[in-house]
Amino acid sequence: MTLETVGFWVVATVLLASSLAVVLTPNLFHAVLYLAAALVATGVVFLLLEQPFLFAVQLLLYAGGVVTIVVFAIMLTERLVGERIAQTSRHVVNGAIVAAAVFVGIMGFLIGAPLGAPRPAETGDTTAAIGRALVGPFAVTLELLGVLLVVALLGALHFARSEE
Amino acid sequence: MAPSVWLPLLVLGLPFVAFVLLAVVAPLRRVGPRAGLVSIGAIALAFGAAVTVWTEGFVSETTWAWIPADGGPIATVGLLVDPLSNAMLVLVTLVSLLVQIYSLAYLGDERPASLGRYYTYQSLFAFSMLGLVLAPGFLQMFVFWELVGLCSYLLIGYWYERPAAARAAVKAFWITKLGDVGFIIGIVLLWSATGTFEFTDLFEKAQEHALAIPGLPTIMFLIYLGAVGKSAQFPLHVWLPDAMEGPTPVSALIHAATMVTAGVFMVTRTEPLFALVPEVLTLIAWVGAFTALLAATMACVETDIKRVLAYSTISQLGYMMAAAGAGAAFAGFLHLLTHGLFKALLFLAAGAVIHAVGTNDIFRMGGLFRAMPQTGIVFVVGTLALAGVPPLAGFYSKEAVLGGVWEAHLTGPFLMLALTVLLTAFYMFRVVFIAFFGRAHAAADPHEAPWLMRGPLWVLAALTVLVGVRMALGGAEGHEETPAWLAPLSVGLALVGFALAWAMYQRRAIDPARIAAALAPIDYLARRRYGLDALYAGLYRGFILGFSRLVGWIDRYLVDGVLNVLTALTLRGGDALRRIQSGRAQDYVYGVAFGLLLLIVGAQLWR
Amino acid sequence: MIGLPAYLVLGALVFSIGLFGVLTRRNAVGILLGIELMLNAVNINLVAFARFNGDVAGLVFTLFTISITVAEVAVGLAIVIAIFRVRRTVEADRLDLLRG
Repeated sequence: MTLETVGFWVVATVLLASSLAVVLTPNLFHAVLYLAAALVATGVVFLLLEQPFLFAVQLLLYAGGVVTIVVFAIMLTERLVGERIAQTSRHVVNGAIVAAAVFVGIMGFLIGAPLGAPRPAETGDTTAAIGRALVGPFAVTLELLGVLLVVALLGALHFARSEE
Repeated sequence: MAPSVWLPLLVLGLPFVAFVLLAVVAPLRRVGPRAGLVSIGAIALAFGAAVTVWTEGFVSETTWAWIPADGGPIATVGLLVDPLSNAMLVLVTLVSLLVQIYSLAYLGDERPASLGRYYTYQSLFAFSMLGLVLAPGFLQMFVFWELVGLCSYLLIGYWYERPAAARAAVKAFWITKLGDVGFIIGIVLLWSATGTFEFTDLFEKAQEHALAIPGLPTIMFLIYLGAVGKSAQFPLHVWLPDAMEGPTPVSALIHAATMVTAGVFMVTRTEPLFALVPEVLTLIAWVGAFTALLAATMACVETDIKRVLAYSTISQLGYMMAAAGAGAAFAGFLHLLTHGLFKALLFLAAGAVIHAVGTNDIFRMGGLFRAMPQTGIVFVVGTLALAGVPPLAGFYSKEAVLGGVWEAHLTGPFLMLALTVLLTAFYMFRVVFIAFFGRAHAAADPHEAPWLMRGPLWVLAALTVLVGVRMALGGAEGHEETPAWLAPLSVGLALVGFALAWAMYQRRAIDPARIAAALAPIDYLARRRYGLDALYAGLYRGFILGFSRLVGWIDRYLVDGVLNVLTALTLRGGDALRRIQSGRAQDYVYGVAFGLLLLIVGAQLWR
Repeated sequence: MIGLPAYLVLGALVFSIGLFGVLTRRNAVGILLGIELMLNAVNINLVAFARFNGDVAGLVFTLFTISITVAEVAVGLAIVIAIFRVRRTVEADRLDLLRG
């Protein structure tokens, strides 16, 4: 058992556990914290796949940005409503069946798929490759993404602004 | 274009222009009497043109392609101008003109818009009748034939607020349509056998003996059926008495002088074709004579002055048809023309009487001769003409009819017609004695009609006399000699009828009730119109209404039922389906998830 | 040595858990969290495929996904707050104006 194998199982366990906690915990605030854990675990998965740059992005944007925003949002709504927002679930059995069915469906594909190829050796600096791809073939996409982010920012501002 | 073409076209076109003008320009129609002046002006001009056409003796045939096809048009429209149509043109325009002038006074109390409507119909009728007269082929004739039927319907139902008038209009329409169905089937069969609607083509073929079609008797019988309906022959005569619900001038024009004679005109026009089928001709003669007799007996017991005249019209139409059936179409046509004059006269005079007295019942009139002598004189002139007293117009034409029937060795019809001569004189003088002589009723204060109504009466009376005198001087022109004993016989019969009426209703030497008792079965039947009306009513109720109810039931429960079930299903289905739209985002996510599952399963299956 | 299928199964599991959250959470914020999980699962898949096929495009796509997710969360939360102001609730069950 190599270090990587052990790491994968540990990270996988943490990821699945925190994901389940996100969808099952009755406390919304806790759910956000578990989500942060899950996101970090995902980042570690990226690291296991030898993508440190994506790990950094994941930490900064997701675990840092998204979780912060969500926490702020929860704080805001709780302040507005003046009470703790309980987090309950509905139709748990139905949701479980459907989710399980989707999982089984995906597994069906995985079983039949030819995925046995071994992992090729890491070649060169992927970060540099990503950077070249972003300004090369994906330059237009990158620009569009910038526009999208600006629009999202303005939209969020518009929705969240207080009544004057 | 030669005058022999454009003058008849003018005659035809003027009433049409008046009709379109009145029909389209609503403000003009609503002013009433002035709208009438438009119509009268048009028909007066048309009358002038018609007289010119007649005196010049134009003969022409002009046709335009109507339904084009390879190898010549299938159907044409056009004008067939010959002595027959010329005489009809004059009669139609003359009576139309006089009736329209008369109506100005007779219907003077009507609302202006209503009067405008009346004159619109009148113009349309004049156009339709003239188009029928000038038709060069069966198809155009049928179109105008239906148009005059429509006008008849509209004008009978002129007072459509009255249920009786509305019913009578529908009845007239239905019953004439019965005959028209036969007519159109006959026309189409004839066309499919010969390939033409044109009279001249058909006549040429008839002369070349090229019309030996199997089933020609059937075809001609079907065509004759149209005439049975239109000219009120037994057994389709029942609509004509009811048609008297229309205004009296309408009765004079349409139901005495012109439209009802369309059947006779058609038979006369296509006489060369009917000549090929002697069995149908014999039938026509028998039916005509029987109609004449039957209607005369009913006229004897009728108390409504207009209905007496209506039965008299049916009876005289029977004469015309009998003449046509006997091969003496010319005599029948002659009777058509003279009858058109004096029957219009009688109707208009009766209208003047009704206008003055306010009732149709002859037993509530009486002594009118003193109150309205002018009307009385013209009515008596018309009565004498109808009874066939020389030297008035009716005598000569009736003489010709009787002679023609005798010459054709149709003894049965001849005897019936001869008996009808007696009855005609009897029932007409019965009306004269009861209404114009006899004791005056104290309640009524009758007065002479205005000159607008008297004028047409005098014109018609003068024409009745003048035509008769002209015939007396000119002798029986152009048709075969009648047996010498015929004239004394018919005059004698008429005198017997006159004497009977005089004795029963003037001198009261004979009690009418005793005569009625002596002839009890006939009296009973005639008063009930031989049960024909009841029979038709029963048939109508039993069959048509039953059928309508069946159709109504099918419509309500089967057709509508299917629709109702469908709509209910749709509603229920929609109601059930709208529950899917819960509005909750997560339920839609379920939908997405199911869709994803479907995709997965499908992809697995079809891999 | 961990092969590609292990990563893919991990991704599928996280995806299903996220779907379960989206389907069952009453709170709109909770639903958003479920969506985040699902997107994460996608990211895992993308990176794993890119890594095992030696294709840099998958990595770039992951980058895009992360950025778009951030935008989506920002707008989504703004909407939640706006709804909350108007309706005084963020329970998705009560937000059924579109009910047929």
